[in-house]
Amino acid sequence: MALRPVVVTGLGIICAAGRDPVEFWSRLTTGQGGLTPIEDEAFAVFAARHAGQVPDAWIDDQLPPSDAHHDRTARLALVAARQAIEQAGLAEGGPDRERFGIILGKCQATPDAAGRYQPMHRTGDVVASLLDLRGPRVLVSTACAAGGNAVGLARDKILTGEADAVLAGGVDPLLFGTYAGFAGLQALSTGPCRPYSHSDGLNLGEGAAFLLVEPLDLALARGATPLAEVAGYGLSADAYHATAPDPTGRGGASAVRRALADAGLTPGDVHYVSGHGTGTPANDAMEAKVMRLVFGERAGHVPTSSIKSFLGHTLGAAGAVEAVASVLALRHGTAPPTIGFEDGPGDGGGGKAAADLDFVPNQARPMTIDTVVSNNYAFGGNNVSLVLTRPRGPREHEELPRREAVITGLGPVTGVGAGIAEVAEAVAAGRQAPGRPPSLDGRTYAPRSLWRHMNHLSRMAIAASRLAWEDAGLKLPRKALDDVGLVFATGAGSAESTGGFDESIAVNPNKPAVLSFSNVVLNATGGAVCQTLGLRGPTTTICNGGASASIALDCALEMIRAGKAEVVLVVAADETTAPLGTAQPYDEDDLPEAGAPVPYGEGAGPVRGSAAVAFVVESAEHCAERGGTPYARVEGTRHAAGGDAGTVGRSLALLGGQAPGLVIGAGTGLPEDADEAAAVLEQAPGALLTSTAGLTGDCQAATGALNIALGALAVRERIAPALTGLTAPFAGDLASYVTKPDLPGPVRRALALTAAGGSVRGAVLLEAI
Amino acid sequence: MASVLASIHPEDTVYGEVGDATVPLRFSSLTEEYGVLRERAALLDLSGHRLIEITGPAAVDFAQRLLARDVEYLTSDRCMMSLVLDESGQVVDQVVAFGREDGILLESSCGAGTRLLEHLQARKEDGVEVTDRSGDLTALGLEGPYSWGVVGRLIDGELASLPFESVVDTTWDDVEIVFARTGLTGEYGYQMIVPVEAAAGLWQRSLEHAQAAGLDALELAMLEVRQPIPRHEATPGATVVEIGANWLVDITKDEFVGRDAVVEAFENGGGRRTVGFTGCTGVPAPGTRVQAGGQDVGEIVYAVHSVGLDATLGLARVEQDLAAAGLELSVGGMPVTTLTSPYVVPKSWGIPII
Repeated sequence: MALRPVVVTGLGIICAAGRDPVEFWSRLTTGQGGLTPIEDEAFAVFAARHAGQVPDAWIDDQLPPSDAHHDRTARLALVAARQAIEQAGLAEGGPDRERFGIILGKCQATPDAAGRYQPMHRTGDVVASLLDLRGPRVLVSTACAAGGNAVGLARDKILTGEADAVLAGGVDPLLFGTYAGFAGLQALSTGPCRPYSHSDGLNLGEGAAFLLVEPLDLALARGATPLAEVAGYGLSADAYHATAPDPTGRGGASAVRRALADAGLTPGDVHYVSGHGTGTPANDAMEAKVMRLVFGERAGHVPTSSIKSFLGHTLGAAGAVEAVASVLALRHGTAPPTIGFEDGPGDGGGGKAAADLDFVPNQARPMTIDTVVSNNYAFGGNNVSLVLTRPRGPREHEELPRREAVITGLGPVTGVGAGIAEVAEAVAAGRQAPGRPPSLDGRTYAPRSLWRHMNHLSRMAIAASRLAWEDAGLKLPRKALDDVGLVFATGAGSAESTGGFDESIAVNPNKPAVLSFSNVVLNATGGAVCQTLGLRGPTTTICNGGASASIALDCALEMIRAGKAEVVLVVAADETTAPLGTAQPYDEDDLPEAGAPVPYGEGAGPVRGSAAVAFVVESAEHCAERGGTPYARVEGTRHAAGGDAGTVGRSLALLGGQAPGLVIGAGTGLPEDADEAAAVLEQAPGALLTSTAGLTGDCQAATGALNIALGALAVRERIAPALTGLTAPFAGDLASYVTKPDLPGPVRRALALTAAGGSVRGAVLLEAI
Repeated sequence: MASVLASIHPEDTVYGEVGDATVPLRFSSLTEEYGVLRERAALLDLSGHRLIEITGPAAVDFAQRLLARDVEYLTSDRCMMSLVLDESGQVVDQVVAFGREDGILLESSCGAGTRLLEHLQARKEDGVEVTDRSGDLTALGLEGPYSWGVVGRLIDGELASLPFESVVDTTWDDVEIVFARTGLTGEYGYQMIVPVEAAAGLWQRSLEHAQAAGLDALELAMLEVRQPIPRHEATPGATVVEIGANWLVDITKDEFVGRDAVVEAFENGGGRRTVGFTGCTGVPAPGTRVQAGGQDVGEIVYAVHSVGLDATLGLARVEQDLAAAGLELSVGGMPVTTLTSPYVVPKSWGIPII
């Protein structure tokens, strides 16, 4: 089946190897690396000092003064984003801004201009706001694979028809803490890194890169020049280890094979591979195996190089940076080299082990390049491969098929219970425990050997995943688990690990808490779930605050529609930032004087909580074949970006004028709940509105997933959490709200809402089977 | 129990009775086979290891109760080594447990299968089937610094670098086999569980890339890296702690047969400890007394002549203060020095899998 061709029409980049695509390509093809010693004295504590730094002037000279107050991450992103949009000819005009999205890959939680952590999605919000992008807004955080992942997800948004243009890319700055973490892992090279030949470690870098992605037909219609086609992409999970790659290379090979299958191509079609090539022994040795597994006897004849030898490892930006280089390689018919390459036997790293492969040593190579595979591998065992090809002309294509998807298993792990039976019982009994952390006592969820090394967030997520899996009654053989997808959703990742790591750095940057560091990446928990449940299918991690779960559901639906998975586990988890290292004792006295939060009305304000909620999404076909019993069909989803009061209303356009029986809203107890309530009452007249904030508190991404899970439960069981404290609603009267758990009649359709304040809101419509 | 490969082994193969099994001790000479194992790739006839399948709806619960380590979530792509204990905490056997789609497959240690099978049968519950599969399955092993190359030539290069204790269901010559990365000697090690009717073919084909080694070479190489050999080390009355097999039990499990005794041994902290030694001439017999400063402090567990050290190498079970490396003790009036493991550094530790 030929799907709608998706092309790249604009490129933007800023990194140590160039301030724009022209300079970047010139330096790549003339071997001018950008790795230099860090002059900042703070870094003098480390033995390894080389990094790929972006001079401040490169940023400042390309931004209007009005952008100067933004943090460095946002400014890097703005430089590259503006370049890509400019080249694509979309600075003005172009597609409807409601259909112009941004998908950003980021690895690190980055500081605001004052040095405080800000939400993962903030950089994307800033770029979207300044460039007026109001379409799909996704923050993907599959660590060092995020940038490539973003480009793949952008293709999905075009194929599903949600967007007419997407700015896809990645950004990450050079942060002291991250540097200390890699130093602590003994992963840094003391000089400029030399991937594939003298694999003694990596250099960190910083930068941003964007690709403007749009459908070929629309690009041609507006007279744009397609630079390359995003022909396909593949995701996979190693399910092996938190930081080390699966040494067999099978995870990486699986991503390449999936990407080629997505593109309708074979290994024989590939001319050049843009490698991940960090320069660490584990990565480089594994990549050599990927090459041999995928290309077999032809491996030595497929040139592969690492441009990290020029600019270091830019983490969340790396995949996008390398995608930009790959597009330029296609455009110019030249493979960029691996510089610093030492001929002859290496030192036991990738070089010695891979003398049979062609790493394009030191000199750029003019050659025919019609197809490039760009690979990235990440902490958490997340692998991404992109297939980019020279653009072809317009051609017949089919729409992505619509495939019915159902929710077949629920796994809430909350303060009111673990497992859907306990939570349903609490809902039915009207029990509430906002802010109470879940208890994981009473049973095991994972091998003890893994469990004892996991942080609390991963334990909650694993418990939720196991419970959802068991609830779905799925009994799949090992082979089938290789294709089960996992999408992890989190607002902020592990507060415990982030705090523990930061604390260790503050005490002594040369003694970082390395176990915590490996869990600082947002996708670590998703990786832990894959490892524990043995899932090796497509995997990604979404970090859009409270809207993460519904965006993650979108990703799951896209995997099912594209035939990339029949079963996808969506798991969302977040925890409160309680005092670090403490057990977070739950105390009723911690609740506001007015008691539990009262969404949608006068009363107590929000209470933060910790929870993990998983649900199994399955193609209806797969569920029927195995005799599963679905809770509900996913009738549709809709997201609306922006922080204005109209955002809710735009997300509710999903309803198409047909009101559901029940709406589980995103109200937390803030005054802004009034906007949501008003929009629901207007666009879903007759629906009963409720929220889960009283049940568990605001658990960010997990609350979004809980809303979806309880929406599915309501459709099957006719119960929903009651707003017990609501007496004076901001909008409408009490009759419009759920005030007792037993619903007055069957719920044919339930709507679950999610919200990331000021950024994006989601709506998920669930229907009875 | 004779080896299913006996008919194809050379006529001058030296066999020995080990527990319930008759196994090849040597195909050529210990020195040569040891050299192959430590320098190249050795092929092992593991037919003395009984294969016992636990199936049925309660299989995992049963295995979790009978095995001392945590096998509740042992998936079909993983295996692990565990002790099986009796109610008094004495070692029944040391097994490799393979996770399977429909239960768990246990591989006994050499010659201990009958005892293990009886132990399991005696404790069997409703919903559990315990089946001796040794009539239709057998295990072959590959061990050595270049055994990964044999895997690549024999089956699939992708399998060579499998993580330790990973298991793959694959095929060899259209025959379904269970392939696992295991390792008993510190060298790269693999096991292949194959239908008995295919075993001879796989053995012969493997011999094109590796050389056969018998139990003598295998057990010597195991001792050199302190890989426990229960038939030598699990002496009557010794606790798990005294044997030094703490890592083969998991007392964080709520329950398993023998747990109370193990917990008591952990908490009690008393008794002796096992330590490696070298130095004396000749090979002292098990039970030979060990002295320190003229005082009797313990006994020899067992000892051999190590080809790798070209010296006597053994294990002594002594008072716990003396179970440390670098101490001078006396065995039968001869001085010995205690060692830290591994006593021989495996060559594989310096050789990457390509």
